[in-house]
Amino acid sequence: MHPSHDSFLNRRELLQRAGGGLGWLALASMLDRTSLHASSSLNPLAPKKQMLPGKAKSVIWIFANGGPSQVDTWDYKPELQKRDGKELSGFDPKTGFFPGSVGPLMASPFEWKQHGQSGTWASDLFPLTAKHVDKMTFIHSCWTQSNNHSPALFMMNTGATRMGYPCVGSWVTYGLGSESDSLPAFMVMSDPLNRGLPKGNASNWGAGFLPSVYQGTWLKPKGEPIDNLKPPVDLTSQRQRAQLDLLAKLNRPMLQASPIESELAARIESFELAYRMQTAAPETFDVQGEPDHIKNLYGLNEKHCGHFAAQCLSARRMVERGVRFVQIYSGGMENQQSWDCHADLIGNHRGFAAESDQPVAALLSDLEQRGLLDSTLVIWGGEFGRLPISQKGGKPGRDHNPHTFTVWMAGGGMKGGFHYGESDEIGFKAAVNKVSVHDFHATVLAALGLDHEKLTYKFQGLDQRLTGVENPKVVKEVFA
Amino acid sequence: MISFAPGAALLLLTAMASAAPASTPLPADHAQRMAKSMDLFQKEVSGLLKEHCLKCHGGEKTKGDFDLSTREDLLKGGEEGIAIIPFDSKGSPMMKLLRHEEEPAMPDKKPKLPDGVIKMIADWIDNGASYSEPLIAGKKPNKDRSVVTDEDRQWWAFKPLAKATNRKSQSTNPVDELLLQKANAKGLKFNPPADPRVLVRRAYLDLTGLPPTPEEVETFVQSTIRKPESAMDELVTKLLDSPRYGERWARHWLDVARFAESSGFEHDYDRPFAFHYRDFVIKALNQDMPYDQFVRWQLAGDEYEPENPMALAATGFLGAGVYPTQITANEVERVRYDALDDMLSTSTNAFLGLTVGCARCHDHKYDPIPTRDYYRMLSTFTTTVRSNIDVEMEPEKTKPLKEAWEIERKKLADAESSVETKLHPGFDQWVASGMADAGKSVWTILEPAELKSSAKAKFKALGDGSYLAEGENGAWDTYTITAKTTQRHITGLKLEALTHPSMKRNGPGRAPNGNFGLAKVSITAAPAKGGTEQEVKISKAIADYEQNKTNLSIAGTLDEDSSSGWAVDGQLGKDHAAVFTFAQPLDIPDGAKLTIKLSFSVNTQHNIGRPRFSLMSDAEPTLKGGVLAANVAVAMERARSEGDAAKLNEADRKALFDWWKQRDAGWQDAHKKLADVLAKEPRNKTTMMICGEGYTPIRMHTQGADFLEQTYFLKRGNADLKDGVAAPGFMQALMRTTDEKSWQWQAPKESKFSGRRRTFSNWITDVEHGSGALLARVIVNRLWQHHFGHGIVSTPNDFGKQGTLPSQPELLDWLANELIANGWKLKPIHKLIMLSKAYQQGTALDPTKEKADPANDLFMRRTPQRIEAEAVRDSMLAVSGLLDETMFGAGTRDEASRRRSIYFNIKRSQLIGSMVAFDAPEPLVSQGARPTTTVAPQALMLMNSPQVRSWAEALAKRILSDASGTHDTGARIAKAYSNCFGRMPNADESAAALVFITQQAMSYDADKKPEAPMHALADFCQVLFGLNEFVYQP
Repeated sequence: MHPSHDSFLNRRELLQRAGGGLGWLALASMLDRTSLHASSSLNPLAPKKQMLPGKAKSVIWIFANGGPSQVDTWDYKPELQKRDGKELSGFDPKTGFFPGSVGPLMASPFEWKQHGQSGTWASDLFPLTAKHVDKMTFIHSCWTQSNNHSPALFMMNTGATRMGYPCVGSWVTYGLGSESDSLPAFMVMSDPLNRGLPKGNASNWGAGFLPSVYQGTWLKPKGEPIDNLKPPVDLTSQRQRAQLDLLAKLNRPMLQASPIESELAARIESFELAYRMQTAAPETFDVQGEPDHIKNLYGLNEKHCGHFAAQCLSARRMVERGVRFVQIYSGGMENQQSWDCHADLIGNHRGFAAESDQPVAALLSDLEQRGLLDSTLVIWGGEFGRLPISQKGGKPGRDHNPHTFTVWMAGGGMKGGFHYGESDEIGFKAAVNKVSVHDFHATVLAALGLDHEKLTYKFQGLDQRLTGVENPKVVKEVFA
Repeated sequence: MISFAPGAALLLLTAMASAAPASTPLPADHAQRMAKSMDLFQKEVSGLLKEHCLKCHGGEKTKGDFDLSTREDLLKGGEEGIAIIPFDSKGSPMMKLLRHEEEPAMPDKKPKLPDGVIKMIADWIDNGASYSEPLIAGKKPNKDRSVVTDEDRQWWAFKPLAKATNRKSQSTNPVDELLLQKANAKGLKFNPPADPRVLVRRAYLDLTGLPPTPEEVETFVQSTIRKPESAMDELVTKLLDSPRYGERWARHWLDVARFAESSGFEHDYDRPFAFHYRDFVIKALNQDMPYDQFVRWQLAGDEYEPENPMALAATGFLGAGVYPTQITANEVERVRYDALDDMLSTSTNAFLGLTVGCARCHDHKYDPIPTRDYYRMLSTFTTTVRSNIDVEMEPEKTKPLKEAWEIERKKLADAESSVETKLHPGFDQWVASGMADAGKSVWTILEPAELKSSAKAKFKALGDGSYLAEGENGAWDTYTITAKTTQRHITGLKLEALTHPSMKRNGPGRAPNGNFGLAKVSITAAPAKGGTEQEVKISKAIADYEQNKTNLSIAGTLDEDSSSGWAVDGQLGKDHAAVFTFAQPLDIPDGAKLTIKLSFSVNTQHNIGRPRFSLMSDAEPTLKGGVLAANVAVAMERARSEGDAAKLNEADRKALFDWWKQRDAGWQDAHKKLADVLAKEPRNKTTMMICGEGYTPIRMHTQGADFLEQTYFLKRGNADLKDGVAAPGFMQALMRTTDEKSWQWQAPKESKFSGRRRTFSNWITDVEHGSGALLARVIVNRLWQHHFGHGIVSTPNDFGKQGTLPSQPELLDWLANELIANGWKLKPIHKLIMLSKAYQQGTALDPTKEKADPANDLFMRRTPQRIEAEAVRDSMLAVSGLLDETMFGAGTRDEASRRRSIYFNIKRSQLIGSMVAFDAPEPLVSQGARPTTTVAPQALMLMNSPQVRSWAEALAKRILSDASGTHDTGARIAKAYSNCFGRMPNADESAAALVFITQQAMSYDADKKPEAPMHALADFCQVLFGLNEFVYQP
């Protein structure tokens, strides 16, 4: 697949959706003439066909920022519980971030229980989400290439530890386009409690070398979520409508006999899309309009989780309206502001779990009851895991661990109550059926019906792809 | 210094090419065995290999870079090394994989082959692994990409420039002549010329990025009537002389240079002194600096002219890339190789249009760039680092001023010491008289009884009341200080954070960059003899310097937010002090026991390295008022008990005298005069970010060195797989001599330079023997691209095999020759291009041409171009009369700024919304061409942005004031069109506009909005900004 691969299809698409706005009939008839000009690409976000059968149409990715601990959440390690306080011999102190704070093995301080038909072990951090284990596939053997937040975040989001590569959401919107004619295709929500952005900031949702139209739209947590969404005070809806009508009228003659008529026509349409977006976007973000039972399900009015509930609920509303890819960051930048539990593992993880447990559980129930779970892939995970040893301190924590971490996925064609891969007996390193980040990305793309080897974009002389050059594999076992 | 070993390098390459098979001695009976092997191959093995291996190794794919379709390729092995050793199946790595003794077990993801099959293959190898024919019919062995041959140098872009063809006609512009030669063969000719009003708009937008004013349009139209031959020549000359030209074309280059003013990655720290590079590009273009010099300075300006501010600023090119701000110990090496790669890849991409970076992990798959060439070129930058240095901006002007100043300085220094000499009798008298006034209104050092660190740091007393933290530098330390004092009526506490050479950058913090982050200060007090402890409330905190006024300010030490607090990045390496004023003076009659807690939770390891505490009594605490150092206090005690200055030892006398003299009005006067002059040292020094050698590197939060002493050859780009030191070198395919020394620049002895970059720049600009011809081709193609919308080579950053071929190779080489012949000056090339008929054609649609030449490779027509983000915004500012033409200096991220968009500060994590919306690229890697998208955020900006609205209102007001006296809406509409498009509206446009403005005015009137006509007109002006005509260069 190459850029600007089918401008004619896009043109048809444009015509099909030619809705309101004056002058559309005239414009449409003009567009029937086939332009011969090769370089113009009409709507690059027009929906495109899947390459392979894939159940997922959209993605909601809950990014537990900072790196949650696998051995304290979803990866139960009885052996670690036994060896609490013992030294981990042969441990390379440079594995984590603080070589000088290496402590002994530390048992998970949380209560573990089995849940669901699948008997999935889970700690008591997520009592509500744990009720959904039979909807989830767990990959316990993920590993990554960096022990440092920013490169590891880039790895998880773009498949490269360096800056400047397109992120998964950009590749997906590039590959599948948008199902919405009035909302951005790819939206990102970050921590609304002033705890910062994930490290590396906007590069985590950047389009890299893909055209900027595929970059994620970051919704500002305060104030207007999208720039320029609100008209200036003087421009009432009626006055602005009059402006757009005049604009279309004055623009029209220039289209005639222009070698770039289709490009110029697309510009006219873009104003109409913008006009629709002004109404559609605020409507989508308005979670307060939901019925009470839904608000209560998510915990929208609960102090401890209301902010995250609003984001999960918005995500469902976006997916309902055709948004392709939604990412929600749980937690802010690092340390005590995020899942990055260098100190006080218990306090840190209890806090962030409490913020997200009810909203995430509600999201899964809500998607299911609306019949959206089959077509929505929900992903939960961080950029790396934590070490089974403690990081010394008054209240011990755990340092970064690139060698293993757990990601779960639900919906979008995933098996339920399924566990793939294993870490070693103390949860230190991925041991069985190791899954690299590229393997994971290939699998996510496959869920969406995209072939990671064919989803390419030519840049700097190469057919670039999300999954790099090292022949990663799709974890086919996870698909139901 | 530099050492080249050209012979050795070539030898090594030859040796590598035939390494593996040659190393095993042939068995004596090899002929018979080979025959047996051939037999096995034909009967069985060929089929087995085809069935089980070929698909992934030479058939559909070449996994692991291992291809066994021919014997030669089989013997070469893959990226893991050799696969088989003929006559030795036991030693053959491939057999271990087939036997599932080692990973990756083969065949991949399939069951192990039956033992019989494995034995058959082993037999075949033991008999020499013979092939009777390739596994794929007709397949030739793969080229060995690690060897560069003369054939490789035959790629069009690597060849010398074609000699200029003889001109057929002296009167035709050679650009047209060459274009028509090709086009005539297809029966095509130029479109009719563009209307002068179109042409003048095109030329202004193209060269200056701003539309012409109505007057400028009229002047040109008149000039085409009066002197049709020279009108365009004069216009182009005038525009090339305009400072706006440099601002416009510098922006094109900044895309190529991936220019930004922040570090990227986790913290995306600002590079506040990086804008000098942007200014360099603007100045260089405006003064038409020869392009070869432009290139040389960007690679090695510091080595060429280490005192020249322009040359130094040019090196900002190398440092403009991203760089992590937090680097863990096991990332140090990889990150440094990434940084070197950024310098090399950007340089070769920008200057040579090659994707050299692809050769980092393996020989380039398409172009003749072996990995060895990559690492040898990479070695050019081994010791090159970013640095912020103080640069004398006008050295010639400053010198005489400085000489005069030095005379004045010496005079005042002498005056101060003569005052001092006269003070000694007074001092003796002061000591003799009991020193009653000593110790007032100064900070008295608080000597701690105990200093504790929660992270187990140790404290060492340094004798001046300060304590040096040593050992553990914990992630989140808290210091607890207990001390007793008999001081009464204490009004405040002073905390000094002092520097020490044991800390990074001398501190004053223990963070890897020398910073600290003090989140909270709390003080309690109790009677020294025992009693209830009470909190000492702090009413105010001040500091001599704060990193910012928000989360890293001294105020942050008083709030509850444990992540905000006092930090001092920006003035590291200096002593700092903060003063905490007590809400109530602390007055405990028989002495107090104080407990002071400092917590450092702003950032990890950001602990103060050498604290000192002192107390103030009675007076209002301020940052002023010296701290009575321990030695002064001791001297004072002794002097007091002796009562005679003559009995003091030398050190005590000096300490006490130096403290005492500062209270003398005469001394203060002399000292102030000297200090004033010292402060006025004539200099025009500016801090500038450069990228060079021998300067102090800008230090990040790194757990290792800023650069590594050597660059090594790496296998598969992996810093753990080193393969010898890489000596600097060049790209062999772009060398037409084997004598690498001819480019070598020997840096002067004792200089801090290695000479490597200047050497590299000699090669890159050498037209005869180096890559100069390609350098010229690439830049003339860039100029052409921006004048026509696409280049002669439509992939401006890739002139290799994956790029497109030049549509007009003769023209490209002719332009390149012209550039070099004219001393590499760019302005004459612009002029040549713009004076051609090709440039001046109209944009009429001609279906026959579109069919005959869909991509317009023949340039027999013109296509309107959407102007870039900067030009869209600058045009609105210009027509509304608001454009602020101030050039150069630090930029801003304020969208309300009225300066040209090139002066926006570019922070990678906070790119300017209006720029990104209109396709300004993310400055991460070199970008040769911007995409042109048409998306809703552009429309939203034009419809709703407060800036666009304010510019529309400004234009409306401008029109209203210009057309004063007339209330004719028609005249206002005409004025608006003329301002925006340099033309009058036609009847339809006027009519539609009139209806619109009338209705909008009525609507505003109905809402009782003051200035309804202005608002209605602003609504109209805003519509004009949104028109295609406004945002397209015709």
